[in-house]
Amino acid sequence: MINTMKLSIAPYLLLVSLFVPCVSAHADGRIKGTGGVSSVSGAGGGGLIAWATLTSLASEQQRGFTAFTTYTDLDDFTLEVAGAAVNFNDRVELSYARQRFTIKANDAQIAQDKYGLKVRVAGDLLYGKLPQIAAGIERNRLLDPATARAVGAVDDNGTDLYVSAARAWIDGPFHRTSMLNVNLRYSKANQYGLLGYGGDDRDTRVQVEVAAAMFLTRSIAIGAEYRQKPDNLSALREDEATDVFVAWFPNKHFSVTGAYVMLGEIAGAAQQNGFYLSIQGAL
Amino acid sequence: MSVISEFSFSKSFYALTLAALLSACSGTQDTENLYTALGGEAGVEEIADNFIMEIAYDDRVIAYFEDANVDRFRQFFIEHLCMLTDGPCVYTGDTLIDTHVGMNVTVAAFNAIVEDLMAAMNKAGIAIGTQNRLLARMAELREQIIQM
Ligand code: HEM
Repeated sequence: MINTMKLSIAPYLLLVSLFVPCVSAHADGRIKGTGGVSSVSGAGGGGLIAWATLTSLASEQQRGFTAFTTYTDLDDFTLEVAGAAVNFNDRVELSYARQRFTIKANDAQIAQDKYGLKVRVAGDLLYGKLPQIAAGIERNRLLDPATARAVGAVDDNGTDLYVSAARAWIDGPFHRTSMLNVNLRYSKANQYGLLGYGGDDRDTRVQVEVAAAMFLTRSIAIGAEYRQKPDNLSALREDEATDVFVAWFPNKHFSVTGAYVMLGEIAGAAQQNGFYLSIQGAL
Repeated sequence: MSVISEFSFSKSFYALTLAALLSACSGTQDTENLYTALGGEAGVEEIADNFIMEIAYDDRVIAYFEDANVDRFRQFFIEHLCMLTDGPCVYTGDTLIDTHVGMNVTVAAFNAIVEDLMAAMNKAGIAIGTQNRLLARMAELREQIIQM
């Protein structure tokens, strides 16, 4: 009962995104696709990491809104995420996501809330000399801290800070518009925070994240991401995360992203790979 | 020592692979004169005509063009496009700065114009790689159009 309640915003978000194409299109001041998609933390980005791009296609003097839901099916786990984000003037992004992680073997679940703020500090993704530079903060809170405690995490909540730079080349390799994004993140999160924050085997606090993408057509982008993760728990091993993705932007209000994710060892289960599917509505 | 040689081996290996891929896939697109790739005089005129139609039906930008002289715009846009793509033309219109000063072109309006041009080129059957070669040159002119 409690578990079904936990992801109960998902149907509403889905409903909102279905109506998106019917609502007038004011926040479409940027080129299709340049708003990226919704990451698992809710922040605008790729999938496994946030990017310097702000959610939706809102530009200056516009306000944009996105809602999304994501399903990831790993060998021994599933991760469901639903969330929404707003973009004010392509300057400030606020985001929220609820994550629900399920251990297939015993159906045990861990839910987590993520609140994000991202500010575009300088530059532009496409134009001018400076890449788009953004700074972000993510507040994370576990709703089920028992597992985190059991594996030796110090906290059931944590704060991530990151700076992010992204540049797209309109006439990139193979004359295809291509993007590179690099993040530096300060985080104590164990497995995105699902196993709590900090631990008895303190690892590096600063991690590197990289994403590259290429638009094969105006509607289809392919790419890959890499996320370094800390390994703070002596009892469990944590690996870096990578993915390869295809994103489809049939119009400026809807996108579908499919990915193959390779998350390494999670909670003692080796080599967690699987498929990731995400849909986003924007207005 | 062996680390260094391994490193430089893999580096040159990747560089070679990348170079081979790039040359295999981009073909003549890289070297071909952009004006020719757009279809020369006939191609550029078709793009300009399509572009004018796209603008005419684009609520986001039509207000900017309310008092514009379409024939003049067509003539000078074609000339400018020809010059920008290394075609055999001399641009005789006003400078982009003088033309667009005081229009208050917004970020959104600039991007809308870019999308209209993409649509115009799609309708003229221009390959996406060729479109991107032109759009990259247009992007360089953005600060003359959006004036702070
Ligand atoms: C890189 C992008 C652009 C280029 C290369 C460009 C080029 C030109 C050229 C060559 C002319 C004719 C100049 C003349 O008559 O002497 C022109 C006129 C004009 N442009 Fe642009 N333009 C660009 C972007 C824009 C944008 C974004 C807008 C507004 C949304 C805009 C609005 C106009 C208008 C309204 C005229 C007609 C002015 C008049 O005849 O009174 N242009 N442009």
